[in-house]
Amino acid sequence: MVQLRPRASRAPVSAEAMVDEGQPASEEEAEHGLLLGQPSSGAAAEPLEEDEEGDEEFDNEAPEELTFASAQAEAREEERRVRETVRRDKTLLKEKRKRREELFIEQKKRKLLPDTVLEKLTTASQTNIKKSPGKVKEVNLQKKNEDCEKGNDSKKVKVQKVQSVSQNKSYLAVRLKDQDLREARQQAAQAFIHNSLYGPGTNRTTVNKFLSLANKRLPVKRAAVQFLNNAWGIQKKQNAKRFKRRWMVRKMKTKK
Amino acid sequence: RSTSGAKPESARARGARSERGERREGERGAAAIRCVAYNNQSNRLAVSRTDGTVEIYNLSANYFQEKFFPGHESRATEALCWAEGQRLFSAGLNGEIIEYDLQALNIKYAMDAFGGPIWSMAASPSDSQLLVGCEDGSVKLFQITPDKIQFERNFDRQKSRILSLSWHPSGTHIAAGSIDYISVFDVKSGSAVHKMIVDRQYMGVSKRKCIVWGVAFLSDGTVISVDSAGKVQFWDSATGTLVKSHLIANADVQSIAVANQEDSFVVGTAEGTVFHFQLVPVTSNSSEKQWVRTKPFQHHTHDVRTVAHSPTSLISGGTDTHLVIRPLMEKVEVKNYDAALRKITFPHRRLISCSRKRHLLLFQFAHHLELWRLGSTVATGKNGDTLPLSKNADHLLYLKTKGPENIICSCISPCGSWIAYSTASRFFLYRLNYEHDNINLKRVSKMPAFLRSALQILFSEDSTKLFVASNQGALHIVQLSGGSFKHLHAFQPQSGTVEAMCLLAVSPDGNWLAASGTSAGVHVYNVKQLKVFEYSIPDKHYTDWSRTVQKHGFHHLWLQRDTPITHISFHPKRPMHILLHDAYMFCIIDKSLPLPNDKTLLYNPFPPTNESDVQRRTAHAFKISKIYKPLLFMDLLDERTLVAVERPLDDIIAQLPPPIKKKKFGT
Repeated sequence: MVQLRPRASRAPVSAEAMVDEGQPASEEEAEHGLLLGQPSSGAAAEPLEEDEEGDEEFDNEAPEELTFASAQAEAREEERRVRETVRRDKTLLKEKRKRREELFIEQKKRKLLPDTVLEKLTTASQTNIKKSPGKVKEVNLQKKNEDCEKGNDSKKVKVQKVQSVSQNKSYLAVRLKDQDLREARQQAAQAFIHNSLYGPGTNRTTVNKFLSLANKRLPVKRAAVQFLNNAWGIQKKQNAKRFKRRWMVRKMKTKK
Repeated sequence: RSTSGAKPESARARGARSERGERREGERGAAAIRCVAYNNQSNRLAVSRTDGTVEIYNLSANYFQEKFFPGHESRATEALCWAEGQRLFSAGLNGEIIEYDLQALNIKYAMDAFGGPIWSMAASPSDSQLLVGCEDGSVKLFQITPDKIQFERNFDRQKSRILSLSWHPSGTHIAAGSIDYISVFDVKSGSAVHKMIVDRQYMGVSKRKCIVWGVAFLSDGTVISVDSAGKVQFWDSATGTLVKSHLIANADVQSIAVANQEDSFVVGTAEGTVFHFQLVPVTSNSSEKQWVRTKPFQHHTHDVRTVAHSPTSLISGGTDTHLVIRPLMEKVEVKNYDAALRKITFPHRRLISCSRKRHLLLFQFAHHLELWRLGSTVATGKNGDTLPLSKNADHLLYLKTKGPENIICSCISPCGSWIAYSTASRFFLYRLNYEHDNINLKRVSKMPAFLRSALQILFSEDSTKLFVASNQGALHIVQLSGGSFKHLHAFQPQSGTVEAMCLLAVSPDGNWLAASGTSAGVHVYNVKQLKVFEYSIPDKHYTDWSRTVQKHGFHHLWLQRDTPITHISFHPKRPMHILLHDAYMFCIIDKSLPLPNDKTLLYNPFPPTNESDVQRRTAHAFKISKIYKPLLFMDLLDERTLVAVERPLDDIIAQLPPPIKKKKFGT
């Protein structure tokens, strides 16, 4: 017999049928089947439950009426809520960013020289850049805490340097950009020398092997000059030490 | 370990128990030698090391190191040269040309060459111009003016860095060695006349670039080049072609120096071998000559980065920090003991100071100081025994200096409560307090303005006075008391010249102070009355003794001693004894005993078999002991004890960079 309303899956029904083995009433069967055959999602469960209740009394009732207006209103509400959250998030982010910027500016200010000194520097640079340097002391900006005289250094005026600023604390302001470039070149030069003398392709050996060559050729052969390799398994030894310490602590704890 | 010596009561006065202070590992001693420059006029040698120190040795005064300029962390010298007589210039990887003031012992000025790191420098044969080879491939010409140098012009810029330079003796051409090629420039026009390509491997192909470490230009137009493939090549600069090629090593040949007469030159290799090449006639009576490799010398274990050729000897220095001077037999006129090999390992200035009362030793390194307490022993034994220590040496203090400059000099007071040291720009004074085996250090701040940089520091015997020889030539006396100090007096240099004081010595009773300046005069100051005497006190003491010395003459072996005396100290209770030492031996001169004549044995055997016998027959004033071989420092601790610090050479070698691998049969 073809059923007008689609029933739930037959599996629970058959199981029930197996259990009960016999004559379930049609209503009970319907109940059980519906109950058992309900899908797990809660949203769908509700109407079905209602349905089920309603089913008992009013078999052929039409579903609830949802007006278009209410649905529209709901949708608009949703939209508004979403927009609000987005706006809130944006403002929060902005605030955070502003605060961070301020913090950075504060830190930078702290790092820089005090304003007075900077003023002096800029004014002094205008006047002194053309003057022939008399007694000039040079200290890098990074080392401004050290006030020591480093002898008379006279520099070419080509480079953007500021001569002595004040009488007691005499130092020279050097552009860090120049210094970095100079350092980089010096590093590159040293790397070149190291590479060409000790780099790959050179035939170098360790000092230990070098000094032990003589020991190898003696009539009574002797061990190498540095026989033990203390650098072997450093990580392992460290781990072992740490483990031992922890183990001891644990032992002490359990003993107590 | 400690060794026991003779009993002090015996007339031999060898000195009693001496303790051997063994040094533990650290960056000790000198740094590797990077450049050497020989000055023909004054027979002096300038040596620069990798830590920036520059030392000047006087080769005619028994190879004594007379002056030195302290190092600096940022100064890595790559080239050193004398110009215009007595002016010394150096150039390094920081791109600056530095001139040294040899009278005031400081740096006159540093001029930036604006070409990047400088790799090589050469002075023109006319001594008025300076040529500099830079990292960016440019060769710059500087004019030497009476007080500075001035940039003149640039030569044609090359593709890779200029690693070596050499002037033609006439000053018209220069040869510049670079990577994989050598260029010959014409000085007047500044343009490159020839570009000679160097093979990467002797008759073969190699992936590694061939670095031309050294070039030399001879007056007949031959250019000699040494490169990293181990070749010495002869080029003809007129045609720009290779004439002859010698493969002399499996490793780099790193330096070359030609004699003034151009009949011999010397090259140094990375294996530590130094080869001597000579121009010899082809057959015994032909006029045609050719260059032949005559002598190999193996005095170094590591790379020989620099060589120099003086009229009578070959000088080489390298990574193993030794400076080796090998006189050539055929050039030496008088064949005496002077013509032996000299190997200078330890610096000739004092790096260790001793506090007698508390048995402390202060060791000076380049950037820090270490304070050790000596171990002690209660055992006794006979002469020549090594006694076991009952208490080991203690490392008390590790004091690191701020800033990039090296420490010039340091001293600890005899009572052990003051430590003073000085760098090129600052002076530090510390007060030590000892409480129950603990030590605490307090810095005395606010140094007076005149105490900027000191060349020598010395404490008086009773530790109340500090003598400082500043680099302006003045000698300051500072009174120390409690935790503070007070400036007592400053002896200004005489005759107004700025003369830097090099050596200081104070008499035990604190009344006399002797100082010697760079011009080798000795001034004696009376500290009590603050007046200056000249030679008076030593004269009075030594007149009688020295008169007899003049009469007898020194024993011939004594005169032939090839290493200079590094330290002299006196026994306060026995004014007749003088204790001196150098790198190989220490000696006690007993003025009361007769002087030896040439016939007697100078070096007493040790230990003697029959004391009385030896005493009778060979009793003379010089008691020499050679038991401590590489002796760095020796001083008298108290009545019966000497302290000697040895620095075994193996320890030094153990800390050096890797040497070239040598394949020996059977290993």
